[in-house]
Amino acid sequence: MLDLMKLLVIEDDATTGTYIARGLREEGHVVDLMADGRAGLLAATNGGYDVLIVDRMLPHVDGLTLVKTLRGAGSTTPVLFLTAMGSVEDRIGGLNAGGDDYLLKPFAFGELSARVAALGRRPQVLEQETELQAGDLNLDLLTRKVTRDGQELDLLPREFSLLEFLLRRKGRVQTRTMLLEGVWDLSFDPMTNVVETHISRLRAKVDKPFPTELIKTVRGAGYRIDG
Amino acid sequence: MKRLWRSMPLRLALMLVVLFGTVSLLSLAASYAFTRAAFEQSIRDDLAQDLAGFRAAPSARAVATLVQAESEGTDPDRLVLSYVTRTDQIFGNGAVGRDDEGFHIISLEEGRAELKGEYLALSARLYGGRLTIARSRAEIEALQPVFLNILWISLLPTVLIALSGGLILARRSQRHVEVIRGALERMTGGDLGARVVTGRRWSDDLLRIGTTVNGMAGAQERSVMALRQVSSDIAHDLKTPVQRVSLRLEALADVVEDGQAAELVAQTRDEVDEISAVFQSLLQLAQVENGALKKQFASVDLSLLCQTMVEVYEPTASQDNQTVMFAGPDEVIVQGEKNLLGQLVANLIENALRHTDEGAQISVAIAQTPSEITLSVTDDGPGIPESEFDRVTQRLYRLDRSRNTPGNGLGLSLVDGVARLHGAEMVLENADPGLRVIIRFAT
Repeated sequence: MLDLMKLLVIEDDATTGTYIARGLREEGHVVDLMADGRAGLLAATNGGYDVLIVDRMLPHVDGLTLVKTLRGAGSTTPVLFLTAMGSVEDRIGGLNAGGDDYLLKPFAFGELSARVAALGRRPQVLEQETELQAGDLNLDLLTRKVTRDGQELDLLPREFSLLEFLLRRKGRVQTRTMLLEGVWDLSFDPMTNVVETHISRLRAKVDKPFPTELIKTVRGAGYRIDG
Repeated sequence: MKRLWRSMPLRLALMLVVLFGTVSLLSLAASYAFTRAAFEQSIRDDLAQDLAGFRAAPSARAVATLVQAESEGTDPDRLVLSYVTRTDQIFGNGAVGRDDEGFHIISLEEGRAELKGEYLALSARLYGGRLTIARSRAEIEALQPVFLNILWISLLPTVLIALSGGLILARRSQRHVEVIRGALERMTGGDLGARVVTGRRWSDDLLRIGTTVNGMAGAQERSVMALRQVSSDIAHDLKTPVQRVSLRLEALADVVEDGQAAELVAQTRDEVDEISAVFQSLLQLAQVENGALKKQFASVDLSLLCQTMVEVYEPTASQDNQTVMFAGPDEVIVQGEKNLLGQLVANLIENALRHTDEGAQISVAIAQTPSEITLSVTDDGPGIPESEFDRVTQRLYRLDRSRNTPGNGLGLSLVDGVARLHGAEMVLENADPGLRVIIRFAT
C-alpha cells in the first residue's frame, strides 16, 4: 500500500546505515547508502531521489552543509535529518538549512519509515475535498459529521481532528510523535502513553460498535487507517 | 540604616572619634592641671611678697596701721588682710577662725558673715600678733569653664567631621559591597555569567576583592561548562551505540516467534527506550542550561499550551480515575520556547499523575498580575516532606518511596532548568495535602 520510492541514506555509522537501508528495502523502496558527506552530496546531485535521509554529523561534508549546498543548487528533494545532537536548537538549525523534518537518535525504525513516507508524499491538502472516506466510514469536513455504516458517530472536536488527521494520511503509518505534532501542535517527549489513550477512546466510538477495525496499530511504529 | 551602622568604615570612624576624644581630653586635663598649679604658685608668691612687705614694718603698731590702711579699699572676696595683736585686737577686713571643719574667714562688716569661696592663706607671727593674708582662688576656679569651653570648641567639630566622613565612606563602601554581594548572589542563583562591575572610584581593597571574585567566577564558569560538555559528550557518544542496539532489537523482534523470546525482546526494547529517554533528558537539560536557546524565544500563549496539555493528559488520567483540570484566563503570553515550555507543563502533570493514587485531582492553574505570571500544578497526593524540597530538583534524585514508580529523576530538574532559562523561578509548596509546584514568570 506504501508508495515505493527511491531513497538515499547518508549515514557514516555502518551499523545504523545498513539497518536503515535494509529496513527500507524490505518495505519495497529502492535505497542507496553513502557513508560520507562528499559521496552523499555527489549521489544526491545526480540521483533523482524522492527523499534524502541525512545524518547531521558526517565526515568530509557535514549534513548541514550538504543540504545547504543542495538547496543552493536548486534541489527541492525532501530531506529528513537524523541527529544525535537532540536539541531544539539543532532542529531549528537543520530546518533553516533546508531540512524538511528531523529525527532524534536513537529512533525506532517505525518512526523513520513513517516520516520518510510522509515526506515522500507530503499531505496534499485538496481544497475542493469536503469528504474523507475509509471503507464504510465517512467524514464530512463541512458539517463536521462522521458516519459509519450509515450511523452518525458522536465525536468530540479533538477526536474529530485525530480521525481527520489519520484519514488525510490514509494508508500511511502515523507515529505517536507525528500525531502529537499534527493534531495537538505539540512537540515534547511524553513519558506516558498519552497518544494511546486518545486512540483507544476514538476506537471505542469508531471501531468498537462495528465488526471491522479501521484504526490499525502498527507495532513499534504507530497507527494507520487503511483505505 | 541599621546595617549601615554596623559597616566597617563607620565603625572605624567611631573608633577614631573615641580615640581622638580621649587623647584631647587627656591633654586638656593635663594643661588645665599645669595652668592651675602655675596660678596657685603665683598666688603663693604674691602672698609671700605681701607678707615680706608687712615684715618690713618696725612695730606692731605700724603693722596694724598698714593692714588697716590697705584693707580699707580691698574687697574681702579677693584679698583678706587680718592682723590680730597680742591683745586680741583685730585689724583688717576679715578674721580667720578655726573650728572642727577647718579654717573659715569671717567678714568684719556688720553681721560677721562667713566669706564663701576658697582662699589661699599665709599666716605669720609678727611682733607678738598674727598676720594672715588670704587671696581668693576665684581666678583659678574661673579657669574651669574656660577649659570646658576649649574642650567643646575643639572636640565637637572633630567628632562631627569624623562621623559624617565615616558615614559618607560607609555609604559608598556599602554601595560597592552591595555590588559584590549582588554578583555573588546571582552566581549562587545559577547565573554563571554574573560578574562584579567595578568602578574607578572603588577603593583598592574592594577593587581587589571584586577582581578576585570575577576571577573565581570565570574559573567556576569554565569548569562547569567543561563538566557539562563532558556529560553531554558522554550522552551524545553513547547515543549511536544505543541506536544500534535499538535497531538490532527491532530487527530481532521481527524474526522471533511469539512467546518467551518475544517477551524478552519486548522487555529489552523497553529498557533501551528508558536509556535513550535518560540520554534525551540529559542532553535537553545540558542544552537548556547553556542558555543559547534564549535567542529563539518568541511569544507563547501559556494558557493555550496548558489547556492543550490538560486535554492531552485527560484520558490518561481518567484511566486511573484521576482528573486533570485547568483554571485561568484565556490568553496569557510569555516570551519563551514553546516546546520546552510544553515539556515543562508535561513533566509537571506527569509527575503529579505518577505520584498520586487513584481518584486524585490535579489542577493546572495560571494567574496573571501586573508584575508576574504564575503557573501552578497542584495535586492532592501524599506530597513531599519540606526537608526534601531542595533535593528533588537535583539530577537523578528520587525520594525513597518513588523508587518503584516510573521516572528517571530528571523531570523536575528539567522543569527547574526550563524555568531558569525563561527567567522564571520554580517554587515547591505544601498544598496540604499534596504538592504544589509554582513557576513564577516575572513580567
